[in-house]
Amino acid sequence: MAERIDVVEMFKQAAFEVDNRRLPDLKSDTVIASLGMDSVAIMELVSYFEEKLGVRIPDEELSKIRTVRDLRDTIARLLPDRQFAA
Amino acid sequence: MIGVVPTLNACQGEHSLGFTFVGAKGPGEDLFLSFHDLRLAAQRRAAHFAAAGLRRGDRVALIVPEGEHFIPAFLGAMWSGMIPVPLYPPISLGKLDAFMDALVSILNVARPRVLVTTERVGKVLWSAVGRIPSIEKMLTAESLAAEPAGPLPPAADLRDDEIAFLQFTSGSTALPKGVMVTHGSLAANCLGIVRDGLKIRPENNDVAISWLPLYHDMGLIGFVLSPLMAPISAVFIPTLSFIKNATLWMETLHRHRGTITFAPNFAYALATKRAKPGQIARWDLSRMRVFGCGAEPINPETLRAFVKAMAPSGLKPEAILPCYGMAEATLAMSFVSLDEPMKTDRIDAERYHGDAKATPVTNGAAVLEVVNCGRPFPGHEISVQDEEGRILPDRQVGELCFRGPSVTSGYWENPEATKAAFRDGWLRTGDLGYLDAGEVFVSGRIKDILIVNGRNYHPQVIEWLVDETPGVRRGSSVVFTRPGPASEEIVVAVEARADDPASLKARIVARVGEELQLSVADIVVVPPGTLPKTSSGKLQRRKTREQYLNGSIGKAGRGGSTRLAVARHLALSWVGRARHEVRKLFGG
Repeated sequence: MAERIDVVEMFKQAAFEVDNRRLPDLKSDTVIASLGMDSVAIMELVSYFEEKLGVRIPDEELSKIRTVRDLRDTIARLLPDRQFAA
Repeated sequence: MIGVVPTLNACQGEHSLGFTFVGAKGPGEDLFLSFHDLRLAAQRRAAHFAAAGLRRGDRVALIVPEGEHFIPAFLGAMWSGMIPVPLYPPISLGKLDAFMDALVSILNVARPRVLVTTERVGKVLWSAVGRIPSIEKMLTAESLAAEPAGPLPPAADLRDDEIAFLQFTSGSTALPKGVMVTHGSLAANCLGIVRDGLKIRPENNDVAISWLPLYHDMGLIGFVLSPLMAPISAVFIPTLSFIKNATLWMETLHRHRGTITFAPNFAYALATKRAKPGQIARWDLSRMRVFGCGAEPINPETLRAFVKAMAPSGLKPEAILPCYGMAEATLAMSFVSLDEPMKTDRIDAERYHGDAKATPVTNGAAVLEVVNCGRPFPGHEISVQDEEGRILPDRQVGELCFRGPSVTSGYWENPEATKAAFRDGWLRTGDLGYLDAGEVFVSGRIKDILIVNGRNYHPQVIEWLVDETPGVRRGSSVVFTRPGPASEEIVVAVEARADDPASLKARIVARVGEELQLSVADIVVVPPGTLPKTSSGKLQRRKTREQYLNGSIGKAGRGGSTRLAVARHLALSWVGRARHEVRKLFGG
């Protein structure tokens, strides 16, 4: 059985890999735009999730994602068979 | 001079050259549209526009991310002399509100009667449409592809001085300015690019490849309209696909046997960072004649790193082609000659900052490295002028000015901004630079615009956000850029009596990030009264930046040396102009 997906932890790892950022205080209600990453870094980060999870987030969904939890919910909708950390 | 529309009209029977859209038919499946079919597709859109009641001169707003839908709609409007207004789609995380505000403000200047978008993007645009009274109808790009009921209209007979399209600048600005690209200026610039700049000849079998957004001048004019005029084939990679996977750019150059591509500096950094040695060894980039670089300040280190990393693919160093351009010049102003590698000028930093002279460096002096951006196209001219419009001699630093048939006739319904952009028939670029034996060196920006990752930001807008942060007084912050590894980076200097500077910095980063989705690279908190001010008590951006770069920031009382008198004079006049511009923009 596949392990539970923890979007907050994945986000921290992604921010480090694409933008060399440490985000120890990241929570699921963190507003992504408030992290001060530019649009290129943000799209690289989205791509990190897509690659790791084998999912494609539709472009028009992206503009509606505000917080890390929104991102988690969007991915969870796209991957109904996987388990997600709260 | 033959324009874009007559050129397209002459494409009947051209079945081998055309546009390829990567992945447009599904993953791994490309769509090819020959110029013959493109002509038909544009005619069909023109028929739909006519059926919707649109007439010559009416504006048509386009928010269409997919190239295979965007290009026929854009050309279809031009075909009948309507004025397309290309706009960027909402693509970033959680910025829908800010996007809508920018969209509403642009479209209430352009006043289009019709908005063309896709079914998917249209779903999120409705809330904005209600705030744009001129819009009578929303049409989907999909519906425009259908066979129209009426006959296909013939190409309009267009004059050179008629507007071909409006190009709004990419940043978020309070009062957007739309550059009027005329059919004449468009044809002049496209010909300069394909004939003089790129020297496209049938025997080169050129293929242009781009991931640049089509609502941006470099993507639209450089890779749609210029290839059509050449004529050569072009291949389009969806912008978002490139951003998400930068190796797709080189992969496509390899797979489609590309010879010409262009991108801003940051993209070269991204491609270098993402490409793996195994991929580079597999790619064959030896056919590439042109890796053009422009649209934001060029960092020579980025291009050197790219050339070095890609060497195993057979990339030739002389393929690197720095260029200089801006929307007000339609697109391109100068190109480096094709057979030369990137050349840079190493000048004495002290003399540059101190007496505005670009003097080749002598032993031991601090160095500024400036990229050579080549020469203007035939029939065009670049000069360097001082504040009073006097033409300066070689290697004297001043404002770069441009004239020739590619220059815009001005900003859409904004005579005041148009008047300010020209002096004695010269377009004032707002860029700082110098000439040496006819070659152009761009060394900085006079204009108060900060360019980060190809997007423009007004520092005032960022400063206002900083000023609103708890713990910061109004008018006590200065925002400027510093050179970063890939693009320019934002630096904030703020005067504050902060007990806890770390948390103040975090609040500023969060505020700027949230509002503008902009990354702040560094924040300097200094005691009140230590940032440089004008005689009227306003903070000086240029001076603060200089102090930041030379490490003297926050040490009050410095900077009185007479050697800096010229720089200070220049700085004062820039700040003055910036303030003038802000007053104009915000009506206060």
